[in-house]
Amino acid sequence: MNLQYDTEQAILRDSAHAFLRDHYDYKAHRRIAASDAGMSPELWREFAQLGWLGLPFSTEDGGVGGGPVETAILMEGFGRFLVIEPYLETVLLGGGLISALGTAAERKALLEPVMEGKSLFAVAHDDRTASITATSTSRGFALSGATKLVLAAPLADQLLVSAELDGGRLGVFIVPKTASGLTLRPVRLIDGRRAADLELTVVELPANALLGGNDNAGTAVASVIDLAIAALSADAVGAISTMVSATVDYTKTRVQFGQPIAKFQALQHRMVRMRVAEEEARAFALFATLALDRPPDQRARAVSGAKAKIGRSARFVHQTAIQLHGAIGTTDELSLGAYAKRLLAYEALFGPTREHLRRYGALMAKPDRAAEGLLTAMA
Amino acid sequence: MDISLTAEDQAFRNEVRSFLDHNVPPAMRRAGELTTGFIVDPEISIALHRALAQQGWSVPNWPVEHGGTGWTPVQRYIYEIECARAGAASYNNAGAQFVGPVIIRFGTQAQKDKYLPRIRSGEDHWAQGYSEPGSGSDLASLKTRAESDGDDYTVNGQKIWTTHAHKSNRIFALVRTSSEGKRQEGITFLLIDLDTPGITIRPIIGNGGDHEFNEVFFDNVRVPKENRVGEENKGWDVAKYLLEFERGGSVQAGRVRAQFARLAKLIATRCPDDPEMAIRFAELGTDIDAMEMIDLSVLSAHQTGANPGPISSLLKLRWSEIRQVVSELAVDAAGPDALRWVDERPLYEALQLPPEEEENLSLIPRYLNGRAFTIMGGTTEVQTNILAKSLLGL
Repeated sequence: MNLQYDTEQAILRDSAHAFLRDHYDYKAHRRIAASDAGMSPELWREFAQLGWLGLPFSTEDGGVGGGPVETAILMEGFGRFLVIEPYLETVLLGGGLISALGTAAERKALLEPVMEGKSLFAVAHDDRTASITATSTSRGFALSGATKLVLAAPLADQLLVSAELDGGRLGVFIVPKTASGLTLRPVRLIDGRRAADLELTVVELPANALLGGNDNAGTAVASVIDLAIAALSADAVGAISTMVSATVDYTKTRVQFGQPIAKFQALQHRMVRMRVAEEEARAFALFATLALDRPPDQRARAVSGAKAKIGRSARFVHQTAIQLHGAIGTTDELSLGAYAKRLLAYEALFGPTREHLRRYGALMAKPDRAAEGLLTAMA
Repeated sequence: MDISLTAEDQAFRNEVRSFLDHNVPPAMRRAGELTTGFIVDPEISIALHRALAQQGWSVPNWPVEHGGTGWTPVQRYIYEIECARAGAASYNNAGAQFVGPVIIRFGTQAQKDKYLPRIRSGEDHWAQGYSEPGSGSDLASLKTRAESDGDDYTVNGQKIWTTHAHKSNRIFALVRTSSEGKRQEGITFLLIDLDTPGITIRPIIGNGGDHEFNEVFFDNVRVPKENRVGEENKGWDVAKYLLEFERGGSVQAGRVRAQFARLAKLIATRCPDDPEMAIRFAELGTDIDAMEMIDLSVLSAHQTGANPGPISSLLKLRWSEIRQVVSELAVDAAGPDALRWVDERPLYEALQLPPEEEENLSLIPRYLNGRAFTIMGGTTEVQTNILAKSLLGL
């Protein structure tokens, strides 16, 4: 067991923070969020040059060969600086599915443009209902159905759509944005990210649109979604941590009744609880990150546990941060509101807190699992 | 980074597991489950302590030259987890946990020769004489006096909340030897035999029905000066050293997990379809996982020689609250069945009932006794003050 960053990981963290501090302050966030593109193409090119867009891909595929810990380090930085570029959507979800399911030829054709920053993916997958179906046709497949809030869909040039096949199993399809029968209704999200509601009416696709020719992609999709939740949890930890520090700093400078309000014990105790919530969130995000290679049940315990615990921590921290800032905390003058929105989005995306709590609770209701600690034998 | 056991640690775990399988009899397991206070009586635990002593494991945290095991932090953690898993009940181990390390750090050679072997073997049981009626959170205000009289001190005063004093033969105590200067600079650390004339022990029965706490009265008690640990008036430094072990030194995750698993069973039999209980149970589970992960981070920092910093003070704060929630949910899951009461203690001696009925009788006592978790060893409020300074720089 080792839970310390190694030297290279510490360098990645420090250099990512330094780059984002220089290029992504609150003003930049607001400008990018208000732009038509919904992202900064210049910064995306820089992300490519920094190697970030190839970070999780294997060296055989031309990537950096980083693991979930490296991904989490970067994501925590994105949360800390309110980065809204579609890293999760394109690199982790899209790239993750292509890595897991794609043939060698597909991986080469699809991943290289992603790593170079030339191609953006969005992934349409609904964990809860099979909202899109794929029927076999003489030429390939026809996709029909609808799904909501597909992250980064307005930005992407290609979509990866999960659909239920004739036998009830899952396949992932590469769908060009220009496909006939596909309609997108773009929407802005509270945190500046873009998404779209998708409708597919008999979208005709060739047989090779099925990624990897794989007609049993459910397991791979589930593990990519869990990876995305772990990564988004690290993002939330970055946002939580920033809100806690901002609150402590603010109360040290805000003077009322002739003294900094940080001197008041009632406020001190609430801020200690915020820091405790931050530490708990950080610990759980790391647990989820390190459990991604475990068997599905153990992975689900860590990932759903993280989403549930960090969701609660996030709610408590954003509410308390606003309260302790007083009236100014309710405005857009400070970045506080933007962090609150990012954390609200975290809570609701990829299954809300209560849903993960139920999933986690059902797993832990087995006394054997409840008794099981976090340190387990090497697989 | 990884969160898995190496092959060596796995082999160690198997060794510990098989040792405990042989040395934790079902009677001890049952006693642990029906003990509603914090620790089982020495009559229950002594056999295990002796077996541990024979194995060379009775004082794992001590330096190897004094009988410690030299285990890595991860191995110590595994040991604690396995003890809880095997149902090895917690017992008063203040000798091994607290006063032993203090004697090793500050004691004379004569003190080491006299006391350390008897702690290792389990012959001596130690109580802790810190709190007084007027000195709880504000410990430095303590008033029990030790007057110098030749080769002895004469001790007068009163200690309170003394866990298992009635089951102990020795006590380590903080006493006032000077009223000059800063309050902390007039305190001395003494080792006192509890059979010394002038000592009276009076029980305090908790509202959970258990006798764990006591008042200890000192009436002209003569204590040889050779029983002083460290210099006169330097006892506060000794106490602070000891407090580090009390707050951060013990692993909670194992015990809490064992209780959490029993809670899972309780809910499954008493209220399996109650959605609100399911949610509260799940929230509690995520709290436990988060804290165990923080435990492991602290451990990992120790392992690489890094300083985990003030995070370790957070452990006491949260674990004590979590333990209370476990007992609270158990009471709620049982509903009115938890209202059944008997006066006799310990329950494992008083009762011979079907397991479910015995469990009913333990729930409210355990819940009520557990209210002390957030009070003893530094209240939650005091811990929060400490964290405001150390964690937030306020």
